[in-house]
Amino acid sequence: MSISDATTAVSEEMASRADMIVSDGVDKWYGDFQALKGVTATIKEREVVVVLGPSGSGKSTWIRCINRLEQHQDGRIMVDGVELTNDTRNIEKIRSEVGMVFQSFNLFPHITVLDNITLAPIWVRKKPRGEAEQLGRDLLERVGIPEQADKFPGQLSGGQQQRVAIARALAMEPRIMLFDEPTSALDPEMIKEVLDVMKELARSGMTMMVVTHEMGFAREVADRIIFMESGEIVEVGPPEHFFTNPTEDRTKLFLSQIL
Amino acid sequence: MSDLLSSEIDLEKVLAGADEELAVRPDEPSLPPLEWAGKNLFGTGQGSIGAIVRGTFLTVIFAGLALLAYRAVLNFIFSENAGWDSVRINLRLLFTQAYPDENYTRVWVTVGVVAVLAGLSLGMTKVGPGFSFKRIATWLFSWGGLIVLGVLLREPSVLTDSNGETRFADSRGVELVRDTNNSLVYQNNDPAPSTGISALRENFGAAMGDRLGWWIIGLALLAIGAAIWFVLGDLRRRTTFVPAIPLALAGIGLLVSTTWWYRWGHYTFTEEGGFEYGPGELVATSTRIPWTIMFVLLVVAYLGGRLLARATASGPIRIGLSAAWLLAPFFTYYAILRGPIMDWAHVVSTDLPLWVLFAGLGGALLWLLTRPGLGEIGRILAVVVLAAAAFTWVGAFFGWFSMLQKVRLSVLFLGLTALLAPNFIGEARQRMKLVVGWVGFITIFHLLVTLINTASSIETPSEDFAGGFMVTIYVALFTMLFSFPLGVLLALARTSRMPLFRVMATVYIEAFRGVPLITMLFFFTVFVNIFLPGSMELSLMAAVTIAFVLFSAAYLAENVRGGMQAIRRGQYEASDALGLTTVQRTGFIVLPQALRVSIPPLVGQTIATFKETSLLAIVGVFDFLRMARDVVPAQTEFLGTRKPGLLFISAVYFIGAYAMSKYSQRLEKKLGVGER
Repeated sequence: MSISDATTAVSEEMASRADMIVSDGVDKWYGDFQALKGVTATIKEREVVVVLGPSGSGKSTWIRCINRLEQHQDGRIMVDGVELTNDTRNIEKIRSEVGMVFQSFNLFPHITVLDNITLAPIWVRKKPRGEAEQLGRDLLERVGIPEQADKFPGQLSGGQQQRVAIARALAMEPRIMLFDEPTSALDPEMIKEVLDVMKELARSGMTMMVVTHEMGFAREVADRIIFMESGEIVEVGPPEHFFTNPTEDRTKLFLSQIL
Repeated sequence: MSDLLSSEIDLEKVLAGADEELAVRPDEPSLPPLEWAGKNLFGTGQGSIGAIVRGTFLTVIFAGLALLAYRAVLNFIFSENAGWDSVRINLRLLFTQAYPDENYTRVWVTVGVVAVLAGLSLGMTKVGPGFSFKRIATWLFSWGGLIVLGVLLREPSVLTDSNGETRFADSRGVELVRDTNNSLVYQNNDPAPSTGISALRENFGAAMGDRLGWWIIGLALLAIGAAIWFVLGDLRRRTTFVPAIPLALAGIGLLVSTTWWYRWGHYTFTEEGGFEYGPGELVATSTRIPWTIMFVLLVVAYLGGRLLARATASGPIRIGLSAAWLLAPFFTYYAILRGPIMDWAHVVSTDLPLWVLFAGLGGALLWLLTRPGLGEIGRILAVVVLAAAAFTWVGAFFGWFSMLQKVRLSVLFLGLTALLAPNFIGEARQRMKLVVGWVGFITIFHLLVTLINTASSIETPSEDFAGGFMVTIYVALFTMLFSFPLGVLLALARTSRMPLFRVMATVYIEAFRGVPLITMLFFFTVFVNIFLPGSMELSLMAAVTIAFVLFSAAYLAENVRGGMQAIRRGQYEASDALGLTTVQRTGFIVLPQALRVSIPPLVGQTIATFKETSLLAIVGVFDFLRMARDVVPAQTEFLGTRKPGLLFISAVYFIGAYAMSKYSQRLEKKLGVGER
């Protein structure tokens, strides 16, 4: 797999956009186990990319490398033109532009929903409190739970918590949003409310990278699907091609198991 | 079957209106007393003889042991020669040692400050519904029952003759009298047998008659309890509440009011140094009036607190109240020990200029350091200030130059505050927060140092403090105040990524946890002065307080670290993903959660410290225990009378520890809101 192969599948218009995330030959080891093997891909501005693959394929590890929750050992990662190195200023800059939503929400349980959202804007972005709170309430409105602002996370359902987590990430006004299996910890009846918020976000033009098992979402929203297995990118393509006419045998096997 | 139906209906109701108030459990009559006792105490109702035998056997054995212990305690408390006068007369000595009489108002001012703060805090706390009538009735039953049981169990009083001397008889009941040598003989001057003599006691009926007052109290409690229990019925018992704080205030009020009408007795030192006994009199006016004032202050402050809690600006008031609690130990310590003889020349020539220098220049420096876009220069400047602070300590240690301790500490504080500066970079309001915080802090610090360094006109028997319970309370308070931040810092250092911090904190914690507290106390009282630079000298009280702080901090650090380990990794990841700095992550996310998890062990440590202050008796401090164990029994009138004093201080320690434990339970419940 090379960058040129990956980009051939993208339309002309897409190719003309700026590169938001460039992953070039990224290697990652846990001890002697190689989790990522030369992962190479480019994600364009306003593009929605869904990363699929069986568990243990390295997709979560890859997405967590992009804002340095995990450290890659070889290769290059560029986010919006800034390279991730050990330089903390670069890491700070990238983290302030990249929002992340986790599988287990990771809301702060000891402060209210509104405080969860306003904490980083106030202390990292140095926004005045009043402005931050207005932004927080607007975002809660956007994710559909304005009435929950003064509750504690533990008093909310899983779906509501995940929507708060999305609002919290959006409050930093990021240019890129990373989703690490955002619906995997949810009860089935709550998955839709979270996916709806994500779809709305995608339509608004946010650059998104989503690790998920929701095939319906992938088919409907993704501009491109990246399929990974054993730490490698196996196949890249638009959803219609990927779901109906995959080229690789491993992709076919995966699809036959889940569909 | 009907139970089943009703529970289904309830479930529906709950599901239908999840946001409405919770459904109340339906009326469910409790077991009749006999059936309850049979089931819970004698193992009936299981249809097994073995269970009955087992249950009855265990109940009889343990109830018997409990009753025996109860009887022994009561017999001692109420026995004629227990020597309670040694406690009554020495109450003031036990609590404040021989604090000068003419300055005693200062002690009352201290109690008054605490009463006002306590009242305000009580008024401003959000409390639950209070005690249910069910609980109150149970409580009345228990105490009424205990009192009646005690009245029945206690051995009858000894009989005395017209001179107040105990009467004795042999095993046949023939009375003995004292001869001129004060030994016991028969009426006809025959010598008494060497065995079978015991004090003559009243018969059971007379004894019960003597305890009429206790009968009335015990039966009245039982009757009120029964009335509440049977009149209200199960549902109303459980759902009718009496607010807890007014109930407690009423209790305290009742106790204080007894000083005006119940004849506790008037016991006091006389001018000549002896004691004056006045059983059957009202307590001294000098006790009655202050306590009444304290109670009034408490109630007024409580009502004021209730009003303030409704005020719009209750947030800042709460913060102010917390600050007042933090400053109270310093203020009251000062109020008790210092009648300042101000050296105004020194104040004008040294103290004021230094304050202006640190508040002004320090504030300006911090203002500069929080300027947006300052970048690395800010951090370098902060480190330079810290290095300068370190240099002043090193210089003082080797005696290169002399410098006021206050200046050295101020530079150190400035350096530490400067390190925080990057977190406050931003618009003017944000920057002002740090500057105002600094000026406020340095003002209080300089004020305290100046006040403490001022000579005092008050002379206490111990070199630098009053004794008794006051020592216990102050050592415990200062230990908590100082060891808490130190413990948190140690916990952070031990979990830090920087190996130097980690190793140092680990060595410190393991070293201090590995040494017995009493050893540390001896070390600090005897040896530390040898290691100090020439000009410094630690007083006994300062030395033991430092020992307590260092010791307690090591344990607190482990408790906090335990709390930090309970925080899930996701919390760290979410903080990092949001771009919070390490300091912000620690202060906003990690510590608040860690401290909440570690409340039970933290309070446990606090209670332990409170009780362990009694070790001070061994290293020569006149603390509460030493007063009861050594000082009172050394008085000629009470030579060797230790038991009542020790029992009394045990009760006081117990009340303190129990109150703290109850408070921590409430705190846990309150902070449980929003728990995962």
